[in-house]
Amino acid sequence: MTDIGAEAEFDPMETFAAESRAKRNKTLALSSIPFAVLIWWILTQMSLEAFFSQILNGLSFGAVLFFLASGFTLIFGLMRITNLAHGGFYLVGGYLGITTVRATGSFWLAILVSALSIMVLGLFTERVLLRPIRGLAQPEVLLTIGLTFILGDLALAVWGGDPMPIPKPSWLNGALRVGDFAYPRYRLFVIACAILMGVFLFWIEKKTRWGAMVRAGVDDREMVAALGVNIKAVFTGAFMFGAFLAGFAGVIGGAFLTLLPGQDFEILLFALAVVIIGGLGSLKGAMLGVVIVGLIDSFGKALVPELSFFTLFAPMAIILMVRPQGLLGKLS
Amino acid sequence: MIRRISLKTRVLLVLAAIGLGIGIAAPYLFPKYIVGLISLALIGGLFAQSVDLLAGYVGLVTLGQAGISGAAAYGVGYMASKVGAGFPAQIAVGLLTGILASLLFGLMAMRSNDVYFIMITLAQGMIVWGLSIRLYKVTGAENGLTGIPRPEPVNPYWKYYYLVLVVVVLCWMLLGIIVKSPFGASLKGLRESETRMRMLGYNTTAQKLYVFMLAGFFATIAGILLVYLNGFISPSSVVLAASALGVLEAILGGVGTLVGPMIGAFIIVAIQNIVSIYVDRWPTLMGLIFVVVVLFARRGLVGAISDVWNRRQQEVSLEPQSAQ
Repeated sequence: MTDIGAEAEFDPMETFAAESRAKRNKTLALSSIPFAVLIWWILTQMSLEAFFSQILNGLSFGAVLFFLASGFTLIFGLMRITNLAHGGFYLVGGYLGITTVRATGSFWLAILVSALSIMVLGLFTERVLLRPIRGLAQPEVLLTIGLTFILGDLALAVWGGDPMPIPKPSWLNGALRVGDFAYPRYRLFVIACAILMGVFLFWIEKKTRWGAMVRAGVDDREMVAALGVNIKAVFTGAFMFGAFLAGFAGVIGGAFLTLLPGQDFEILLFALAVVIIGGLGSLKGAMLGVVIVGLIDSFGKALVPELSFFTLFAPMAIILMVRPQGLLGKLS
Repeated sequence: MIRRISLKTRVLLVLAAIGLGIGIAAPYLFPKYIVGLISLALIGGLFAQSVDLLAGYVGLVTLGQAGISGAAAYGVGYMASKVGAGFPAQIAVGLLTGILASLLFGLMAMRSNDVYFIMITLAQGMIVWGLSIRLYKVTGAENGLTGIPRPEPVNPYWKYYYLVLVVVVLCWMLLGIIVKSPFGASLKGLRESETRMRMLGYNTTAQKLYVFMLAGFFATIAGILLVYLNGFISPSSVVLAASALGVLEAILGGVGTLVGPMIGAFIIVAIQNIVSIYVDRWPTLMGLIFVVVVLFARRGLVGAISDVWNRRQQEVSLEPQSAQ
């Protein structure tokens, strides 16, 4: 008896959930229309092969951005430090890679040397430069921008102003062919690297003690410190790891984007766009962000080369108006 | 009855009079090159004041202000060198592009705070730079737009200098009025606590948009003055370093004051021109100044002087009264 009665009863919570589910589906359906139109328009502009090439171009550029943005977002999430020197770390890392390849001939050694050197630079930045102004958000940002000017100018003094590519290992040269479709091997390698790194970072974040400390630190620093975790060491470790990734990105990215003075700020702009769109302090947000920014950039460059930076502007503006914390960011 | 004027006000009035006196006499005292540098410093000072209106009074540091002044300068440059329009049209378009840019950027940034605001404005400035190097039909790419003559009545350098002086002093006074007004007081409230201001019934988002546009307006004026001073506009005027320089000048002179950014601009122009004789590593030096100022002198020159002044005043008042 009671069972039947309960079934017939009106459950407001259930109705509410169903309504909001229906509403969300409707919003999703509506917002997918402009995307469908956009993709249709793009396909009228280029062949299907070119379309797939552009997607891979976008993903490989996004892959480089992922190494930068994940470190950037980790540092911000833990310490609330906006490290604008990340672009400078990338550029100097790339140049150190060139020097190492020229001296030893090994691309892999170059990645290691660059990433470790930039990690030490990160240690210096965090311990010596940022420690005295810990917690003062704006001075911290300004200091890191000052540091970027110094790094960029010293790189210009040491390595000169000519564009430089990093020599790649020979088995990564050339194109991979699948039927009629050919695509540079190296770019596919970069995408694979980023996917592996993404999985690795997720594993660290979710499954290891380190990840648990970082997640706890993001949520409540004081509480973690009170529980006996040396939070300062965690901070320094995270900063060094972020710098390590930036140096890594410098070599990986420098091998197909070529290194140029001024690229420190250019790559920084893209990394900022990633975290503004994806949401600051979130690894998933960074993943989503690099795919979006990478694709927008590659299709923008192909279709409207004159507006190549401007194409980032509209999505950023829309997201800031509708969802200021970014797609997957948390409201602070 | 004559109101008694405090010692501090008297000192400041005398200093202001001396400054204005030197400013008016400058073309008679200095060679053409130095007068040009003073014009540059005055324009840079106005630009830094516009940065400080946001950074010092509202607590929102912007790293994209050169994007706005650059948009205005490119507006003027496009009308002058590509369209060949007259001066009224050039200046009108310059004002329009500058104000439009600050409206657009303000709408984007008005809901953010603190570090987010820095990141968003940085991205905005970089995007204007991106357009300046890529949209070559409008901006002339790396070469920029050249051949932008000054209006005939102010064409000789010393006449243009006086125009700059008058405009900058007028803007300075206007900024002074804004800062002292109830609106200015509410901006300081915004800096101290946005939540409390919202609880008091202020629409803080709208307030931020207004002040962003006001700052953008003064940056626009600075951009237009600069493009006629140089006679050209190129991407190097809208790079991130140009925006950052405005912030550096404001901090170096003293954030939260109007005289500070002006002093900062004069110091930076002096350093730039003295040092460039010996070394060409200006960005390194600028970065070092940034780091040192942020680490050791966040209150700037004006802050340091007023600290010393206040301590002396305290010592004076602590002296035994029996001496009188």
